[in-house]
Order: sequence, then structure tokens, then C-alpha cells
Amino acid sequence: MFREMVGGLRITLREMMTKPITIQYPEEQRPVPPRHRGRHILHRYDNGLEKCIGCELCAGACPVGCIYVQAAENDPQHPVSPGERYAVRYEINLMRCIYCGYCAEACPTEAITLGPRLDLADYKRERLVATKDDLLEAWPGFHPMAQGVAEGRGAPAPQTSPLGAGSSHQGPAGSAPGLRPPIPGSRGSGGGAAPI
Amino acid sequence: MADASTVAELVNISVDGRPVEVPPGTLVWDACEKAGIFVPVYCAHKKLEPVAVCRMCLVEVEGLPKLQPACATRVAPGMVVRTQTEQVRKFRDGNLEFLLLNHPLDCPVCDRGGECDLQDFTQRYGPGRARSSITEKVHFDKAVKLSDKIMLDQERCILCWRCVRYYEEITGEREIVLQERGVHTVVDSFERQPLQSQFQGNLPEICPVGALTHRQYRFRARPWDLRRTASVCSHCSYGCNIFVDAREEQIARYASNDNPEVDDSWLCDQGRYGFPELNRPERVINPEARVGGLRQAVSYQDAVARAAGALLRVRGDHGGTSVGVLGSPRMTNEEAFVLQWLAREVIATPHVDHRYEPLEGISPEQFRLGIAELEGCDAVVVIGDRPERLSPVLTLRLYKVANKLGRQILRVPETFSAAQVVKQLPAAGRIGIVAAQADRAAAMGLRAKAGSAGREAAVLTITEAVNSRGCQDLGLLPNVGPGYRSLEHSGLFGRQLLEAAVAGQIKALLVVGDGADFEAEGLFHEALAKVDVAVVVTAWQGVASRAATVLLPGRTIAEKAGTVTNTEGRVQRVRTAVEPKFTFPSDLRILGDLAAGLGSDLGVQALAAPVFELLAAAVPAYRGCQAGLRAHWEPGS
Repeated sequence: MFREMVGGLRITLREMMTKPITIQYPEEQRPVPPRHRGRHILHRYDNGLEKCIGCELCAGACPVGCIYVQAAENDPQHPVSPGERYAVRYEINLMRCIYCGYCAEACPTEAITLGPRLDLADYKRERLVATKDDLLEAWPGFHPMAQGVAEGRGAPAPQTSPLGAGSSHQGPAGSAPGLRPPIPGSRGSGGGAAPI
Repeated sequence: MADASTVAELVNISVDGRPVEVPPGTLVWDACEKAGIFVPVYCAHKKLEPVAVCRMCLVEVEGLPKLQPACATRVAPGMVVRTQTEQVRKFRDGNLEFLLLNHPLDCPVCDRGGECDLQDFTQRYGPGRARSSITEKVHFDKAVKLSDKIMLDQERCILCWRCVRYYEEITGEREIVLQERGVHTVVDSFERQPLQSQFQGNLPEICPVGALTHRQYRFRARPWDLRRTASVCSHCSYGCNIFVDAREEQIARYASNDNPEVDDSWLCDQGRYGFPELNRPERVINPEARVGGLRQAVSYQDAVARAAGALLRVRGDHGGTSVGVLGSPRMTNEEAFVLQWLAREVIATPHVDHRYEPLEGISPEQFRLGIAELEGCDAVVVIGDRPERLSPVLTLRLYKVANKLGRQILRVPETFSAAQVVKQLPAAGRIGIVAAQADRAAAMGLRAKAGSAGREAAVLTITEAVNSRGCQDLGLLPNVGPGYRSLEHSGLFGRQLLEAAVAGQIKALLVVGDGADFEAEGLFHEALAKVDVAVVVTAWQGVASRAATVLLPGRTIAEKAGTVTNTEGRVQRVRTAVEPKFTFPSDLRILGDLAAGLGSDLGVQALAAPVFELLAAAVPAYRGCQAGLRAHWEPGS
């Protein structure tokens, strides 16, 4: 009996000496693995245009039907995305989402990816239906993947008016090399931010 | 192709080893379909003549060295067709590779994506991958606005000519042409003039790819978002069969639902693009009642009880004839029948109508000729331009009768001399007479004249709204009862009724339906202001809803179930395509509950099917007709 007691205490004492593996969560955070599938992010091209073209393939691929997309036609003078079509409404019901990543897989323009964010609790159910404003990458991008590009950029433009070709507040971003988005339907070439 | 006399000598052929018997002259494609074998095709269309330009339907015919287009080859006795051989597979594969060579592959932003033949056949028969680069494609104009209704994307076009042939064969307007040669061939409107046709909406539907698209539907939804309901177009009385495609309880588009007897798969633009009318947000969504001078929201039961109480009070004080009942030609047959029953039997008033202007001297004989029966006429007389204005799709049927069948079409002005017209008609054969209902007297006169000249003639009059014919058949009129039964006491017609209300003789009004015929009339406004009680069941905010003492939320035609009768007497079903924003009972149940409140029982549940049985018992012509058959009126009834 004594031997067992000593054996148990030895484990206890050994563990007392080791560093704890818990952290002070909200203040302290562990790095998230690069391929973590957390809350979705809607990306932009370097010229600020949204990558999403409102094609609804994500909604079609979604196994739980948690994505709602309503597309609309771009105003050629002030396009939101390259080409003719953009998503005027884009909503994801985060309570229903199973974070499978099929939406990202279906996306033809790599507009949607699942990001690192995993703190998705909230006090109100309504707030767990993420809208386009919640999901859309800020411009210039905050996302780690976009950081490198963002550094070389001039003054940021207001997020609400993505810039089109020839826009006066285009700044150096317009001259980003070789950034014509590979969108079918956009035939204009040359300057990076040439929609349509 | 083959008429009834040749049915005896059917041709035996074999498709992929399956024996099929078809009439001589049948196309191989149709024979394959009959054998249950699908052959992919782009250029051929059931309503168009074959051209065999897309080469997608090539099949092997034993004894012939080269593959044959199934869409243009006619069957021969003993023909052996094979559709699944290695050679056919190779040709389909190669053909699709050619079609995709310059196709932009912008399926994600294409409105046709998800219901595109090019996508489907590529998936099923095509090459797995492209051998050419996406950057080497020949480019054409995208997003060409052909008109305010149609968008053209020349890159997506696979040059099947369906649109060109549609304009040539179906409408005769020839607005779209093929331009340039070889790889530069494009489809475009003639000299880039905007399309003028009133049948443009059919173009995106016959286009097998996303080259021609509706501007109204542009980027509104993907096919998998839509819930499809077979119903009837509510634009006019022609009764074109449609599919209502709805997204989130809003109508997103109308699509044609081929009924060879009525629309022959074509819709007019007024009908096809007219549905935003039904999506309007100005709806009545709550029962309301005037309580002590102030209108306020009340419960449904309370509203019905108040309506019934008010009507009973007026009837008690001034008699049943002091109540006027107004329906609408956009009600279903069931509602129209119950409403006239409610008026005549329950409220005991003869003053019931569904329209503003009086309608006298109508009989089923004025609707004897069926729409498809026009094709059996040797000559058709069209009186004035009103029939084709009321029901544009009629123009396409007349064009078919004239051009495909080579019959004589005689368009005469409203004021014509019957003797002169009869002289121009062929000496023998059946004569069809088409007129607007307003010209029914002239049409019947011409029929009598032709009859006395020894010609067999039949009349088709075109009514105005989707169920004008049903309202007339079922006696929602002050001068005839259900089944055109003559009445002992005629009531007042719509306008007279409102005049009597303004004069103070009518103390209460029961208004059911959209009231679109009345809303524009100042008299309606005055009458509603004058009467003591106005019970209104309507879907729309307007003059009636604002003036109502008791207001009950009604449904639009897209939200209710029942039957409507088209102008030739065909009883067709409308189905609930979208749900209203409220959960109150349907118009039909409101009428049933109102009758119960007035102390009468309908005898059956206030649902479309039992009420139809009830009305078929009262109007024998309607018996067994709700499956899309024409009501059969005995001559002279």
C-alpha cells in the first residue's frame, strides 16, 4: 500500500514541476494551424474589387444550405467585382455551418476561404448570421495571406466604394503588376484594375 | 407529317436493338424518343423545322457509310439505327470539343448555368478536358442589349439558328440574323436595331445555351434556387400554361409550359414579363375593421364576425337588395361561384357583378370555336385588332394557320359589311370568326350571314381578364345565373350599382378580389365613401382597402389554388406558386366563413376541389373539366 502511495505522489510531484499546458484564453491565444477551417472570409483583389461574382456555387455546394447569395449586375462605372455580376447580398448562417469547406472548394474565383477565426460565440442568434459586411476582407486586407501585398500599397480607400478602372483615388494600387483577375468575361487587359 | 389515314401502315425500325413502330415520314430523332433513347440535339426543336446544323444528333444508320443527323433523317422500313456505337461517341466528343473551342466557359456568371444543354451534354458525352488554352479563344461581344428585354452574349452562342428560325417560322418578324462567315459567324439583330417583337421572351427559352437571356431575370437566381409550379398566366384570357419559378416566395420568372391546344409553347412578353405586378409590396396583410370611427387591426374571427354582422344589419334595415356585391375577373372559378351564391342565396341580392361596364347578350355559342380548332378552319376572319391586342399569343396561332397550314386569314375592321366579307371567303369549308368580346354582336351577325350563305362558321370571342370567361359561365353577373341561366329579376351592372350606391339606394358593398377594374373609376371612390358598410377582401392596398369598414387580406392569383377558364372555355388549374406573407385563410375560405357568419352553410368545405364539385353540379358543362378540358356546352344552351 505504501509503495502505491509513493508511486502516486511521485506522479503528482512530477506534474507540479512541469509547465501547465492551459493558457489564459481570451488574453492569450494559441497560433491557429494554417489550414484551419474557421469563420469564412470573402476576399478582394489587390485593386479592391471583390473576388465574389455572386455565382452561388458555394450555396449550391453547401451540404447544409447555410449560404444565401443574391447576385446583381455591376454598374460598369462603379463595379463591385470584375465582370458583369457581383453578390449584392451574401449571408452565412454560422450556426448551421459545419465548416466543411465545400464552399471554398466550389468557388471558381477563390473568393471565399475558411479563415483562422474560431471564437464564434455570441449572445444573439441574429448576430450569428454573418452578412457580407462581416465576411468581407477589409481593404487593405487584414488577412495574413494578404498582408504582404497590402504593405506595398498607398493610401487606403473607403471600403464602401471599391475602386474601378480610371477612378481618381486609385493610387499606386492600380499599378500593381499583372493583377488582372482571371475572371471569364473580363476581356480588358493592361492596367490591373480593368473591370470588364 | 403523317395523318390518321396512314396509321395502318406503320414503319418498323430498330433503335439500339429496340423495335419501334412509327408512322412513315417520322424523324429518326422522334423514333428514338419513342423507343426511349435520348439523342442529344441543339439545333432541332419540336416546334421548328429541322436544319441539321449542330451535328450533335449524328447516329449510325446501317447501310449508310456516314453518320446521319437524327433530327433531319426520316425513317424508312427496316431501318437499323444505332446511337451508342464507338463512332457516334467519338463524333459527339469531337463535336462538343468544337463547340467549346471558343465558348467563354463563364458558367458561374451565366444565367443559364445549371439548366444549359451545353453544360449537360458536355458532362454526359463531351471530352473531359480541353486541348486548347483558354487564352486563345476568339472573342465576340458580350452583354449586347438586343432590346430592353433581351441580352445577347455572342461568345456563348453555338450557332444553332434556333432564334433565327423562330423569327422566320413562328413570328415571321425576322429580327435576328447570322452575320459574317466561318469562325467569325455571330448572331445579332438585323443592323443592331433593337428587337421590336412582342414575343422576344421566347428567345432565351429556345436558346439551348446562355447566349440569349432575359434582362428581367438577369442574375436574379440560379435554377437550383427556384421552386417550379405549373400554373396559368394571368395576363389575359388566353390561358397560356406556364411554370411559375419562385425564389423566397417571390416570383422570379415565368417559363412556358407547352400546351399545344392553347399556347403551343409560346408566351407573349406582356404575360411573361408582367409578374412584377404580383410581387408588389403594397399588400393588405392584416384584417382591419372600423371600430368607433377608427380603423384598427382586429383578429380574423373578429373581422369576419363584424363583416357578417354589418351586412346582416343592413339587410335587416333595408332589405337584401340594398347590398351590392362586386367580384373580379381575376378570381378563380370556385371563388366566383361561391361569391354569386353568397350574393343571391345568402344575402339575397340580385346586384352582383365582376366588371365595371355592363355585359349583355352573351352565350356559350360566342365561344364555340377552340383556339387549336383555328388550325382546322379553311379561313379565319379576324374582326379588328382588339383580339390580338387582348391576347397577343393569338397572333402566333394565326401566323401558323396562315403560313404553315396555308389557310386564308381575313383581317377586317370593326365596321365591316358581313355580305362583303362572306363574298371574300372560300366557297366551301369551315370558317373561323375571331373577335373581341366587345364585337360579339358583329361576330355573331357574320356567323349568321355565313350560315345563310351555306358556310359552316364558328365564333371565338376573346374576353379581357384571366377568368372573365369563368365569371361569365358561373353567373357572376347581374343578368345571368350560373350556366347562363336566365333570371327572374336582373340586378344592377357594376357601374349602375355604384351609381345606385352614390344615390343612396345601395347601403352596403361587398368587394372581393383585386378590384382592378374599379380602382381607376372615380365612381368607385364615391360609392365606397357613401355606403354605410364596405366589406372588402383584397390583396392590394388601394381605394377599396382604404375605404373599407371591414378589410380582410386576400391573395393574389399566384398565391391561390383553384381553376380558371380561358376564353375558349378550357378549365385549367392555377396552383399556389408562392405563399403570402400572412397565414390568414384563403379568399375562398373567407367567403365560406362569411356565409357561415350570415347563417348559411356552403355544404362542403371551402376548398377548391369540393367547391368545384359543387359548381359542376350547378353548371353541368364543367363536369370533369378541371384537368384542362374545355367545358362542353350543349348547342343552344
